[in-house]
Amino acid sequence: MDLTLIVVLVIALALFFDFTNGFHDTANAMATPIATGAITPKKAVLLAAVLNLVGAFLSTEVARTISGGIIKEGDSGVLISPEMIYAGLMGAVLWNVLTWLLGLPSSSSHALFGGLIGAAIVGAGFGAIDGGVLMSKVLLPALCAPLIAGVSAYMCTKMAYAITKRQAGASPKRGGFRYGQIFSSSLVALAHGTNDAQKTMGVITLTLVAAGMQEAGTGPHFWVIATCAFAIALGTYTGGWRIIRTMGSGLTDVKPAQGFSAEVSTASAILASSHLGFALSTTQVASGSVIGSGLGRKGAAVRWGTAGRIGLGWLFTLPAAAVVGAVAALVMRLGASGTVIVSVLGVGILLLFWILSRREVVGHDNAISDIDTSGSAVKIRSKKERRKLARAAEAAAKAKKKAELGGKK
Amino acid sequence: MSIDWGAFLIVAITTWISALLIVCAYSFGVRLLAVARDEHRHEQLNRAGAFASFGVCGLIVLFGIVLIVPVLSRNILGI
Repeated sequence: MDLTLIVVLVIALALFFDFTNGFHDTANAMATPIATGAITPKKAVLLAAVLNLVGAFLSTEVARTISGGIIKEGDSGVLISPEMIYAGLMGAVLWNVLTWLLGLPSSSSHALFGGLIGAAIVGAGFGAIDGGVLMSKVLLPALCAPLIAGVSAYMCTKMAYAITKRQAGASPKRGGFRYGQIFSSSLVALAHGTNDAQKTMGVITLTLVAAGMQEAGTGPHFWVIATCAFAIALGTYTGGWRIIRTMGSGLTDVKPAQGFSAEVSTASAILASSHLGFALSTTQVASGSVIGSGLGRKGAAVRWGTAGRIGLGWLFTLPAAAVVGAVAALVMRLGASGTVIVSVLGVGILLLFWILSRREVVGHDNAISDIDTSGSAVKIRSKKERRKLARAAEAAAKAKKKAELGGKK
Repeated sequence: MSIDWGAFLIVAITTWISALLIVCAYSFGVRLLAVARDEHRHEQLNRAGAFASFGVCGLIVLFGIVLIVPVLSRNILGI
């Protein structure tokens, strides 16, 4: 097959993957501030998009180390062909869109790794995969991320409520946490931009190198950086409202102090992990934080059914994307006709998902229905007060009944 | 196969400490501001304390931004 054509196809698909990455991950930063009413949904996605765009331009370090050694490349390993990358991307994109349809926050990086691994296995056999690296770079972090972030969010939420607790009657004014939420979620969005847009830049650069259009070992071209930055920003702005719904109100009901704790935990975990060399998935960190903060607030309940579905989604992300990537890679072996079949099938399945999504449209206006805008609603009444209120209500009802009876007579 | 448990622990502890510090500072800010508004003793002092707490938060967030942006972290922190 014509080398230039396949390179163009890979770049197009990679940019589309970047786009799905963006709208998949808007929720990580913006679901909790939207849920507490700290920021309106439209402004939230705009802010996240701008920060993602800025973030993508700020750093290209990650792009240089993209494949991360899971697939053995180089002299002793596999020669990665553009066809393999195309097949792998197809797996990643299809899984990302499916999980969006189901409203599941799943890791885009796992989908990308999975797709590439599947394609590499078909291309070069199981020997192409480094099991140890897979374990320590993908599976273990997937278990650790929600744990670290969840524990952090739990402790922070407990502490935030303990510190702001005041003697009976005085309002704790926890609505003040909303302002903090804007900053903490912005930090998450910026960190996301510096990380995730890089993955696509890395893939495109890898393809250009594989096709012999770029010197090995050089950084991404400027046009690659720019298009990737815009693709992820556009995706973020489009907003994966289904996933925002799951993260913002599906797991637990979020209040400002709790949302702030969750976001600070997410930001800390991402920054710590990306600087101390234990890469954690943003999505998994953010989900763990939301659950942890739900456990930490008195009166909040965590919906474990939803949490379980998300966990199941994580478990399947890598293998499912790998299977799709492998099947695509098998078909691609047919040559030019194979590429056409994979492309047509891929676009067809994407269209199907899109049509299915139109049956129930989730947008900025209905992603989170009970946005709590009043600061005083945050206050949780003490037992004494609740009992008093209940007694007053009972007395009022009795009085009303009496009055009614009296009226009838 | 070697799993770097040390790195895992360091990430966990750094996350916990930094998140707790930020939330602690901000919570004190929120509390002091609430106290300044409806208890009228030492109003100025409480208010100043609140904004100092928010300031500490802002500094930690600035440090986070420095960490995110490679150019800044190279020039300021030398890493």
